[in-house]
Amino acid sequence: MAAPKFAFLLLNLISILPLLVSSFSVDRPTDRRILVLLDDLSLKSSHSLFFSSLKSRGFDLDFKLADDPAIAVKRYGQYMYDGLILLSPSTERFGGSLDVEGVLDFVDSGHDLIVAADANASDLIRNIAAECGVDFDEDPSAVVVDHSSYAVSETEGDHTLIAADDFIQSDVILGNKKIEAPVLFKGIGHSLNPANSMVLKALSASPSSYSTNPSSKLSSQPPSLYGTAISLVSVVQARNAARIMISGSLDMFSNRLFRAGVQKSGSLNKYEKSGNEQFITELSKWIFHERGHLKAVNLRHNKVGESEEPSMYRINDDLEFSVEIFEWSGSSWVPHVSKDVQVQFYMMSPYVLKTLSTNGKGLYHTSFKVPDVYGVFQFKVEYQKLGYTSLSLSKQIPVRPFKHNEYERFITTAFPYYGASFSMMAGFFIFSGVYLYNK
Amino acid sequence: MGRSAATKDAHALFHSLRSAYAATPNNLKIIDLYILFAVATAVIQVAYMAIVGSFPFNSFLSGVLSCVGTAVLAVSLRIQVNKDNKEFKDLPPERAFADFVLCNLVLHLVIINFLG
Repeated sequence: MAAPKFAFLLLNLISILPLLVSSFSVDRPTDRRILVLLDDLSLKSSHSLFFSSLKSRGFDLDFKLADDPAIAVKRYGQYMYDGLILLSPSTERFGGSLDVEGVLDFVDSGHDLIVAADANASDLIRNIAAECGVDFDEDPSAVVVDHSSYAVSETEGDHTLIAADDFIQSDVILGNKKIEAPVLFKGIGHSLNPANSMVLKALSASPSSYSTNPSSKLSSQPPSLYGTAISLVSVVQARNAARIMISGSLDMFSNRLFRAGVQKSGSLNKYEKSGNEQFITELSKWIFHERGHLKAVNLRHNKVGESEEPSMYRINDDLEFSVEIFEWSGSSWVPHVSKDVQVQFYMMSPYVLKTLSTNGKGLYHTSFKVPDVYGVFQFKVEYQKLGYTSLSLSKQIPVRPFKHNEYERFITTAFPYYGASFSMMAGFFIFSGVYLYNK
Repeated sequence: MGRSAATKDAHALFHSLRSAYAATPNNLKIIDLYILFAVATAVIQVAYMAIVGSFPFNSFLSGVLSCVGTAVLAVSLRIQVNKDNKEFKDLPPERAFADFVLCNLVLHLVIINFLG
């Protein structure tokens, strides 16, 4: 009687275990559960190559129609998903409890987002993008047109399908295999605020492109977006390590463009397969933290020769500093190797700035002399490299001046003063003698 | 004309001072020499500090104040011992000298302590 009940209970307990390991945590930063919102369920099959590449990397995709009333990203204060993909450019309102604020809160809490817009992008999508730092062209009917960098094709003659190959130069974001073929793009362009340092152009339009309505006459005013100011795909890395990708084209993710051959107008190279699949796959790896996610542990400092961390240093002390930096490889933490991590010994301004040397296994160390100034200093490591999460570490340590008995006993520069004092005493004796015995 | 008159006056002034000083008693002249020695040493120390900086400031102060203190005590001895001084007519010069010695002892004790 008891045995089956016991077995039942055990089975129940075991079924909870997968939930515990599949959530995003600081130790395993790769996302696991992703909510995909679609305009149209046919996208599941027309974009199946993209979704299957995500599934094959171990992600749990949850497909929902964008106006499904059962959409909820948060339940009892906890987020149920680690990433959000919005492939619903024409949706005016999301169903359920999700809205612009909800999406922004999702990102603010450190989760990742992919947004795809299109020629009929709704205000909802435009607002989400604008909050992320990306401004789509204000004209709702404008698309990106390029008369000298379009993809040569038999069917489309208005040059809205462009072949772009101006990628961001970063092995972390786009992988270390060069993307040979251009990427096919058909959609709207956006611009970035140059003062925003967190948003980057992953795919930029060529200098001959411009944003216009292809079916209307060209207006006498020049278009507001043109040239390389147009970004076709942008990425944002927020300070809390949330990563956002905003693309102006939903077709870029489709099977049709993944498999299409591409020939850029004006060039003789004809490629069998466009660069779309490689570009999107590598970019999604970066977005979902399979690459370029750093963590720094074990920031330690001690006096040369000792092993404990002191609570205070003295001026002109020699000290050693070390920190360990690891990078997430998708499945485990591997040492991060870099030549340009620096540490500052900082009090209002850096008194010491040194580049740390590494032992190849993730340990960065250096040693230097405490400056001749006393006060409360900080060891600061500020590491911001393109494509990597930014590291901002600091540890406070006071520095005291010499104690009275830490000076040398007789100071060389003070010898004249010692001499003068003793000569005064000698003079006093001689004077007394001469004065008293003077006749 | 005026210039040579001025220089002649300066010469006359200088000579009268010199002859008046020659008339002071010998013991006062010895005290004056001692005071000169102390002040010269103080000036040398200040010039040295102006060159190398005031690093052990306590040592600098100790050295300069020992010279200045010695000069001050010697000056007070001279005042008390001078026979032309009406104020100290009734003070025996031995008493003045004993005060001088005791004050110098205290001065040098403090100087050695502050010298570092």
